[in-house]
Amino acid sequence: MQLGFLVDLRLCMGCKGCEIACKVENEVPLSTWRLRVKYVDVGSFPETKRTFTPLRCNHCANAPCERICPVSALHYLENGIVNIDKDRCIGCAGCIMACPYGAIYIDPQTQTADKCTYCAHRVASAMMPSCVVACPVEANIFGDLDDPMSNISKYIQQHQGNVQVRKPEKGTEPHHYYVGGGNVTLNPLASFRAEGHSLFNNLTHLPVGGHH
Amino acid sequence: MAHEIIAATNAVVVLDVALPGIVWGWIITMNMWAKSIGTGIIFLTFFLLKKYPEQTGFIRFPAVVVSIVFIHLFLFFTVIDLHQMFRFWHIFFHPHMTSAITIGAWMATGFVGLLLGMAYFIYMKKDTVMYDKLLGYTVILAVPVTLYTAGLMAQSTARELWQMPTESAQMILAALIAGTATMILLGGNKFNDAIKKDLGIILGLSALAAFILYMAELIFGPMKAEEVAAVLEYIKGGEYTVMFWMGQLLAFITPMVLVCLSLKKQSYYLLKIAAVSALIGLWISKHVWLVIPQLLSMS
Repeated sequence: MQLGFLVDLRLCMGCKGCEIACKVENEVPLSTWRLRVKYVDVGSFPETKRTFTPLRCNHCANAPCERICPVSALHYLENGIVNIDKDRCIGCAGCIMACPYGAIYIDPQTQTADKCTYCAHRVASAMMPSCVVACPVEANIFGDLDDPMSNISKYIQQHQGNVQVRKPEKGTEPHHYYVGGGNVTLNPLASFRAEGHSLFNNLTHLPVGGHH
Repeated sequence: MAHEIIAATNAVVVLDVALPGIVWGWIITMNMWAKSIGTGIIFLTFFLLKKYPEQTGFIRFPAVVVSIVFIHLFLFFTVIDLHQMFRFWHIFFHPHMTSAITIGAWMATGFVGLLLGMAYFIYMKKDTVMYDKLLGYTVILAVPVTLYTAGLMAQSTARELWQMPTESAQMILAALIAGTATMILLGGNKFNDAIKKDLGIILGLSALAAFILYMAELIFGPMKAEEVAAVLEYIKGGEYTVMFWMGQLLAFITPMVLVCLSLKKQSYYLLKIAAVSALIGLWISKHVWLVIPQLLSMS
């Protein structure tokens, strides 16, 4: 079994339901996110549009975070999920340095690394991840990539040619796919990012708990 | 490519998490700097005892003390940077051997054991034969202890700037620069002219090689990957430009010039200034190189 995720960006409307469901389900502290939706505005007025990109751990087959973790706090489950054992984590932040997707952060309450686990605890009880359940347009598709009859496998089959992963050049073999993505949505260097420039807040830096 | 895309699309991130803060900051810089001195002084002690056994015997004890002090500083800064520092023992009882951190911790532990053995034999037993025998093993172990941080940086897949084998070369050169500079300050005026000349040459050439590597990365790095190009913008007119060039000036350019002058004028005083400049500059150079890749947003 190899669990994976697919987000159809053509369906996502940026409601952040997945983000909130994840926060509630996993008790993610304030100022940190296991999953968040990035908004990028494209074009010049009046020809503008807004894109929405849910971002979470990519559960890579060749996960740099798992490789760099000195104590196996980050480890693979049999279903392919890259899980984290917070009781074992020493908080060295090596995983944060290694993850090319910026998906890992230091939990300010436990002072250990944390990230999306595809809701491994729910999956173990045969439930879908909370973000999948919360999505009103079924833009999040979750399932077994090894099973050709699973929804995600069929979706990938139906949209061949329009399925992408983030940063394939890193060789991480992510198990998180996007349909309808492009440079603007998937490449962080392809959009302008001003410090503190945000619709709903004025944070200038993410408090990741480092020492300046 | 990214510049062209932004120009063409006018794409602006309007909502996301804020830019990431610096996770590995000055404490990790202290870690690398102290380790360079701790292992570098062992390389130099080995070299001097082999080449000038009669004239340099007096450095056995001070050199091992300096190494012990700086390796423990390195370990101290390693531990205090952990967000769960009291779980440090997990590295030994739940080791994950694919991690450079694990390998480094084991190597450093063995290195400290050998250093303590050397200190015991030279201070308690006055046994130079055993000291020299242990020094042979210590200098071998000093190589992976020096290099493991480069391995760690190479494993940091997200930070394109930190590449192997460049980082391993930089780590060895940093150890040679720091070790030589410390030896120059440690030896005082007790070294003869031939030894001073050798130390000056090692310092000058190591500084030259490290400077060439930095300049090569600065000029040619952006041609290989747009992430590297974006990161280097921080030292090409960006907020770390002054600090970067200050580091280059103090760590490499000034020592090279002063070494040349000291060799020409037979001035050990200039060599000492070069040593101090190199040690200060090395910290600054390493800090800039450590911090700038962390400023780039990954999402």
